[in-house]
Amino acid sequence: MSLDLGDALQTFFAESRSLLQEMEEGLLRLETAPDDAEAVNAVFRAAHTIKGSSGLFGLDDIVAFTHKAESVLDRVRNGELALNEGLIGLFLGCRDHIERLLDITADGTEMDADTRHQGEALAAQLGQCMGPAALPAETEAPLQSLGGGRMAGDTWHISLRFGRDVLKNGMDPLSFIRYLGTLGEIAHLTTLDDALPAAAAMDPECCYLGFEIRLRSEADKARIEGVFEFVRDDCQLHILPPGSRVADYIELIEMLPENNSRLGEILVACGAVTQRELDESLALQACENAREEAPQPLGEILVGRQIVQPELVDAALTKQKEVRLRQTQEARFIRVHADKLDELINLVGELVIAGAGATLLAQRQGNGAMQEASALVSRLVEEIRGGALRLRMVPIGETFSRFQRVVRDVSKELGKDIELVVTGAETELDKSVVEKIGDPLTHLVRNSMDHGIESAEVRASRGKPAKGKLRLNAYHDSGSIVIEVGDDGGGLNRDRILGKAIERGIVGANQSLSDREIYNLIFEAGFSTADQVSNLSGRGVGMDVVRRNIEALRGTVELDSTPGEGTTVRIRLPLTLAIIDGFLVGVGDSAYVVPLEMVLECVELSDVDRQALALRAYVNLRGEVLPFVRLRDHFEVDGHGTRRENIVVVHYAGHKAGLVVDQLMGEFQTVIKPLGKMFSKVKGISGSTILGTGDVALILDVPSLVQQAAAREAGLNREAGQSGPADRATASVQ
Amino acid sequence: MELDSERHENRLCLHAAGEMTIYSAAELKPTILAALEQSDEVDIDLSEVSEVDTSGVQLLMLMKREALAAGKGLTLSGHSPAVLEVFELLGLGSWFGDPQVLPAGVARRVA
Amino acid sequence: MAKTILIVDDSASVRQVVGLTLKGAGYDVVDAVDGKDALSKLDGRKLHLVISDVNMPNMDGISFVKEMKAKPAYKFIPVIMLTTEGSEAKKRDGQMAGAKAWVVKPFQPAQMLDAVSKLILP
Repeated sequence: MSLDLGDALQTFFAESRSLLQEMEEGLLRLETAPDDAEAVNAVFRAAHTIKGSSGLFGLDDIVAFTHKAESVLDRVRNGELALNEGLIGLFLGCRDHIERLLDITADGTEMDADTRHQGEALAAQLGQCMGPAALPAETEAPLQSLGGGRMAGDTWHISLRFGRDVLKNGMDPLSFIRYLGTLGEIAHLTTLDDALPAAAAMDPECCYLGFEIRLRSEADKARIEGVFEFVRDDCQLHILPPGSRVADYIELIEMLPENNSRLGEILVACGAVTQRELDESLALQACENAREEAPQPLGEILVGRQIVQPELVDAALTKQKEVRLRQTQEARFIRVHADKLDELINLVGELVIAGAGATLLAQRQGNGAMQEASALVSRLVEEIRGGALRLRMVPIGETFSRFQRVVRDVSKELGKDIELVVTGAETELDKSVVEKIGDPLTHLVRNSMDHGIESAEVRASRGKPAKGKLRLNAYHDSGSIVIEVGDDGGGLNRDRILGKAIERGIVGANQSLSDREIYNLIFEAGFSTADQVSNLSGRGVGMDVVRRNIEALRGTVELDSTPGEGTTVRIRLPLTLAIIDGFLVGVGDSAYVVPLEMVLECVELSDVDRQALALRAYVNLRGEVLPFVRLRDHFEVDGHGTRRENIVVVHYAGHKAGLVVDQLMGEFQTVIKPLGKMFSKVKGISGSTILGTGDVALILDVPSLVQQAAAREAGLNREAGQSGPADRATASVQ
Repeated sequence: MELDSERHENRLCLHAAGEMTIYSAAELKPTILAALEQSDEVDIDLSEVSEVDTSGVQLLMLMKREALAAGKGLTLSGHSPAVLEVFELLGLGSWFGDPQVLPAGVARRVA
Repeated sequence: MAKTILIVDDSASVRQVVGLTLKGAGYDVVDAVDGKDALSKLDGRKLHLVISDVNMPNMDGISFVKEMKAKPAYKFIPVIMLTTEGSEAKKRDGQMAGAKAWVVKPFQPAQMLDAVSKLILP
């Protein structure tokens, strides 16, 4: 093998030393508690793993010695051998010996006579513990080759009939045939469908095919047979070596399930025998069979099918194992102070930035080895980042289940019968988000119960079940978590909302709005719909506060309502507040970060498109109207545009928009730094980050940009509509 | 595995796309048999089959045999590279008897 | 597209050597430290083969294979069990659970590659 196993060998030494440590601890524990099955297991496992790994590196001395120790440990584990002080002492001696063997290997020195004697003495003692039964053989007995020496020619004949279950077991006959092809050249292959039953009886997950193969190969019989090692129990395999006699083929025909004359044709077709040979031999065979009953012994092996006897499972043992499993699982949780986690995440954030800096330096220096090293570091940092963030992810179920109580209490208070249905409880999100979402959710839940779900009488008159239903649901969607609060109540009153909004001056009287836009007006500041202020939700905390809370978490909220059927409020939050995968783009000298999960694609703008951009607020993306925002204009970046511009297509909550930028700079792990208060009014930015170079990049607020692009497109379209439909028509020809 | 069908008079064209493997076999069998029952002529377009295993080959063989038995026509067309590789390996090209277009780079084995 | 193999073994050096061997041969490799960890890797990604040790803490290889085979998307994945020569009974358990192929520990990297190639070529 041309593999460089140097690193792996170091891993092996470190791992083996720690296993020896475990082995020692286990043995010492057994001194006081000889019945501790878990400790016996740990000691066994240590020996077992060391043996397995040392075999990988061809460290035969270690394999051989550890194997002996493992075999005795196996007997202890199976209760065949009682553990006593003497035996523990022996195992401790073995442990020390393995350690010495490891040291010798690590130092690259030769084994001294002392160590050798010690090893032999220990081995002898272990041998005695094995009792009269000899140690199991090291390797499987070599396959017996009865086929006789190879004769002239090098073409093998292989007959294969697969068992019904091979496919279900994940074994694809095609794979074995492909592999067979690597041993030589498949000169001919006939696929037999004779066993394929009628359509109705055919189970598509069963295998019915057979194959007759002519293989030109230098390989020996054991190697060819080895190809089918894993299906040996599941197939009929006949191999005829090169130069087999015609009589051998006749025997083969006799053994195969298909009709003899058909098989004969196939063998002739694939060149195994000639028609004349076949005819003569068949005639001869018929005569012989008439004379003697027993057919001649075969010139090749027929690999027997072994039937596996299912072993009875020792119920007590299984149960014992379950108990142990539970115990170890319990011990797998540790409580960690949240501050410590935050500290870790902060450090990882710094690490990400520092790593990006190192990568940049490596690239500038053009040192290949350095770049490779820094790429490895970056990959590991990425994994650490993922791991650290996962530490903070908790399922939302806990938060949801708190509402069972809220719903029960509030429905009593209101005299309504309301049931809470929770779905998606296993959906995970950042702990810090969970903490902050409780209040807005409570508000929404109460609001739905109070204003959404009607009283039992009204429900009855509308033909609905008396029991109202409140739904809490959560799921992941393009890097966000979506939380839904839904009810099966009366829905929102569109006209009343619009009336209120006009009355309060939130919208103009003749502004045309979609139903959805109208419903979402209830999130505007200074809006409260309830005619009578109830005890529960009408306490001056309006839906605008809910929206502000959610926006503070870089989330959005929207609402769907169908009159008579109910209302669903949908909250969309980022999965984490600390670090995101970003996509770095450049406009002039400034860099901006787009959250990667919102990026759909990047397209270079053609000159035609660029000229058209001045005229209209959308581009034609493969026939689709795509509103866009030109970041150069939006952020009033100085200087002239570059020769080339690109459009980054982003999406959010079902809407798409294009961001026009100068350069695409690639993916970038972004540590989010909050913006100061004074920037809170700047539209289109949600935070900042520090690049590897130390420069600052702004993180784009894609939701607000998407919204803005859509609004601008709608605006221009209205203008276009007033000035005549021709404009739009010409623009969309592109 | 996706299977779209398109009818041209009494000829039914099935477009198979994706993996024609053991994972989709149970679903695929009744669909294609039903298609064969409904039409005298069925064409299966294999141009978008990304992977095919023994179960897939077997189903196609079953279809062909059923069609022959019922005196109907079944043709396979547009063999994708994945399908071609398997047909080549198993020597099935002539078994099905459909014209196969071999892309450059796939050598025809001399049978 | 490279075929993806999941290696489940509690020994880091086995994972590393097998991983290197398979990657060198052109496979993609995902690894897991025990049965529990391995189950968490069955997250919808496409796998072409699983190589699993039998004796592992938390969840052994046989329980893992049983659970994996219960998932529709992973039901037909070929499994190579890493067995020891003394554990015929384990081998039978493994076969019952649906792991029909095995490689006997200790093994050389080339042996592993050979076993894998029989089931899937890269």
